[in-house]
Amino acid sequence: MKKWIQRSFRNRMFTAMLLAALLPLLLGGALMLRLQVVRIESGLARQADLRLRELEAALTEVYAACGDLAEDLAGSTVVHSALRRGGTESRTLYQVLYRSAEPLRDCVRFDIYDGEGRCLYTSGGSLPAETLDTGWGLLPAARASSGIAVRTGAEEGLSAARAVRDHKGDLLGYVTASLDRSGFNRLLGGHYDAACEVLLLDRNWRTVYYSRPAQARDTAEALRSQLLAGEPLSGTDGDYRYIAAKHPETGFTLILQQPRTFTGQVMEAIYLVSAFVGSLCILLSLLFTWLLSRYLSEPVHQLDQAMGEVERGRLDVRLEPGREDELGRLAGSFNRMTEEYRLNLDRSVRRQRELNETKLRMMQAQLNPHFLYNTLDTMKWLGVVHHTPQVAELATGLAAILRAGIDGDEIVTLEQELDLVERYVDIQAIRFEDRFTCEIDVAERFRSCLVPKLALQPLVENAILHGVSDMEEGYVKLWAEEDEGDLLLTVSDNGPGIPPEILEKLNSPDKRIPGGHLGLFNVDSIIRLHYGPRYGLSARVLPGEGSRVRLRLPVKREEGSYAESPGG
Amino acid sequence: MRRLLLLLCPLLLLLGGCGRNTGPDLSRFAPAEEDRLVLYTSHKEELYGPIIREFEARTGIWVQVETGGTSALLERLEAEAEDPACDLLFGGGADSLQACASLFEPYVSPLQEDIQPAFLCPDGTWTAFSSLPVVLIYNPVLIRTNPPDSWDSLLDPAWRGKIAFADPTVSGSGYTALASLLQALPGDDEALLAAFVNNLDGQILESSGQITGAVADGTCYIGAIPEDIALQAVRKGQDVALLCPKEGTCAMPDGMAVIAGCAHGENARRFIDFTLSEDVQQYLAEACFRRSVLTERQGAEDVLPALDYDITWASGQREELLRRWRELTEEAAP
Repeated sequence: MKKWIQRSFRNRMFTAMLLAALLPLLLGGALMLRLQVVRIESGLARQADLRLRELEAALTEVYAACGDLAEDLAGSTVVHSALRRGGTESRTLYQVLYRSAEPLRDCVRFDIYDGEGRCLYTSGGSLPAETLDTGWGLLPAARASSGIAVRTGAEEGLSAARAVRDHKGDLLGYVTASLDRSGFNRLLGGHYDAACEVLLLDRNWRTVYYSRPAQARDTAEALRSQLLAGEPLSGTDGDYRYIAAKHPETGFTLILQQPRTFTGQVMEAIYLVSAFVGSLCILLSLLFTWLLSRYLSEPVHQLDQAMGEVERGRLDVRLEPGREDELGRLAGSFNRMTEEYRLNLDRSVRRQRELNETKLRMMQAQLNPHFLYNTLDTMKWLGVVHHTPQVAELATGLAAILRAGIDGDEIVTLEQELDLVERYVDIQAIRFEDRFTCEIDVAERFRSCLVPKLALQPLVENAILHGVSDMEEGYVKLWAEEDEGDLLLTVSDNGPGIPPEILEKLNSPDKRIPGGHLGLFNVDSIIRLHYGPRYGLSARVLPGEGSRVRLRLPVKREEGSYAESPGG
Repeated sequence: MRRLLLLLCPLLLLLGGCGRNTGPDLSRFAPAEEDRLVLYTSHKEELYGPIIREFEARTGIWVQVETGGTSALLERLEAEAEDPACDLLFGGGADSLQACASLFEPYVSPLQEDIQPAFLCPDGTWTAFSSLPVVLIYNPVLIRTNPPDSWDSLLDPAWRGKIAFADPTVSGSGYTALASLLQALPGDDEALLAAFVNNLDGQILESSGQITGAVADGTCYIGAIPEDIALQAVRKGQDVALLCPKEGTCAMPDGMAVIAGCAHGENARRFIDFTLSEDVQQYLAEACFRRSVLTERQGAEDVLPALDYDITWASGQREELLRRWRELTEEAAP
């Protein structure tokens, strides 16, 4: 991953942009979700606290009223006398009971029991038939207590009892107050929201009341064991919050069971939506950061590649301008820079070629001293004046050769070159007293071909001086032919042949100019400089027949555009 | 990369925080350690519920109850012996408790002297809670004269096929009744067992709870059953009468024992003292039809002829007797 990021500018940019886009988004989203949850939960908690206080107040009120009433009844002489008398006929007691229990009659039932546990009077509808156990539970507790004893019912409900004693302290009976489920319903109902449930637990967290009777036992027991185990209270299933308050007067615990707003299901839905939106965001950020990073990095990438091309020697690489920004300008600069570089290179190539031409002229100058010509002219006239025609002829031929070397174009027609060769042969014929013959066999169609000046003469000179000079019957032949569109000019002799070391040098591609046979090497250099490396001179020796030197030239005629720069 | 992870951590924490939402902390409502008591009991809820509630109301101690069969609870205690979760084993035959004496911490209650000598544990390993004798019942409507008054009656061909008896392989009290019968009657146990199975004539009930019903509706005429079930049936007004076999009956107490090394031993001992109190013992007799173990609550009319019940023999022979029982009942079945 790290390697991938570091590998390219684009990957770095992509990662950075992706993080910059995603992190705030995801963090923000999570934060919002959390905040929302906290806000709603705290709202619910506030509401629950309020409800609990209301419930507590209702309970306190009833508890105090019951306590007062039980005390009143226990101290009432009407009750005392009725209990002493026994029987259930005291109308006065009924009146007292009804009147004083009136405000509480909706929810609390008051009973008056005699010492045997028989119910004599009740504020409820009818007298309960069963007697209360005087040896177990509520009544003995009331007997043992100087005040009010409270007992929780086996399943639900609450009963309180106060022993009634006469002034000597003898037991007369009991006043009891009891709240059953319907009593609690009336007492606590309306103090909490419909979605909530209320649990009233005694000091040991045994159920006194649960607004949902069916689950009372299970839920209370689950809560109790969770409390004892030190676990968070979650009841029988986890979809409720439990908020509790201790009722100070009784030591009872009031618990409000509030449905969780963010139950597993709701949270699941929220997470699902969040995950969906999140992945959408991730996809979009991926797409856009990809596109953006490409938009930014593509020109850099192209520039990088173009640079590579230039390094490999391709100078005609150009970048698409297309953009107005810094990167566009950079591409323009690159284009200008490579163009400049290319022009520079061209210029230096041209300079090099010019240098080569200068060198060529210097080589030609070796054959071209002016004063020789003037001297020869003087010699010719001296020959004429002194009547030695051979001297005049020699001087005239030599002068013609020299003039051809000095004047005119560097490229001449084969006709002109052959004329020069003939003059040279005439001179050498006088010098060697006609011990050789020279045959020139060039068809008329080749005579208009263009050749470098003084290209053939050195060949003939070589054939005469190194071939036939020491022979009595020398034979030199010059002929022209065409081969694959090239012009071949060959000079052969019947002499002893070119020595092998010279022959090897002549035919090798790298022709260093050696001491002897300078003329041949010059010719080869001139032709190569003019026409390129595939042209030039080659030589071979035919055993018993002498040597054969051949020039290969392109076929060019005067009508052609030979005036443009040669080579290429 | 590490920086990136550091950045991501709070994000993950934040997201994780959304999942758990436990509501307000209510641990302040939990009682202090010294106000707790954990007890394992094999009693039924109708019996232990009111006693525990009264104990809680009087002492303010929070009692946690785990229920189960006696042998299962003893196994569990054995497994937890290193670090006991329980403070008190409430219920279980005195013989079973004595067998696992090493699990318990001896306790001699100050109320010990009020207990009938027959129900005293010599070394204080267990403390007797109540006693539950096996009695004979009959249908007083169907049997007007000469009610069955002896273990011998169960072998009387006159009642063949009319005896309600719980399968001893399933019911613990059924086995106690069978063992009592074999011990009470003279003669070869093998022959007695065969005669008894023969006299049952395939009439075997699955639990002792069904016996009163079978007798009351006339399906059977007589039966053998723990006393409290019989008394409850009488209280409900069913046509059932009970009497004690004249040979005497087995009256083994069920006990309580403090667990050795428990966390709330003091509260466990308070609970034992509480159950031995006059109030609870009276409540046991009146509401639960169990016999008190206290001397002063043993009225003259209550005294049952005690059978010299050999606990060691009964538990030692159990496997063998039940195997024989199965063989005989399968033979009898068509």
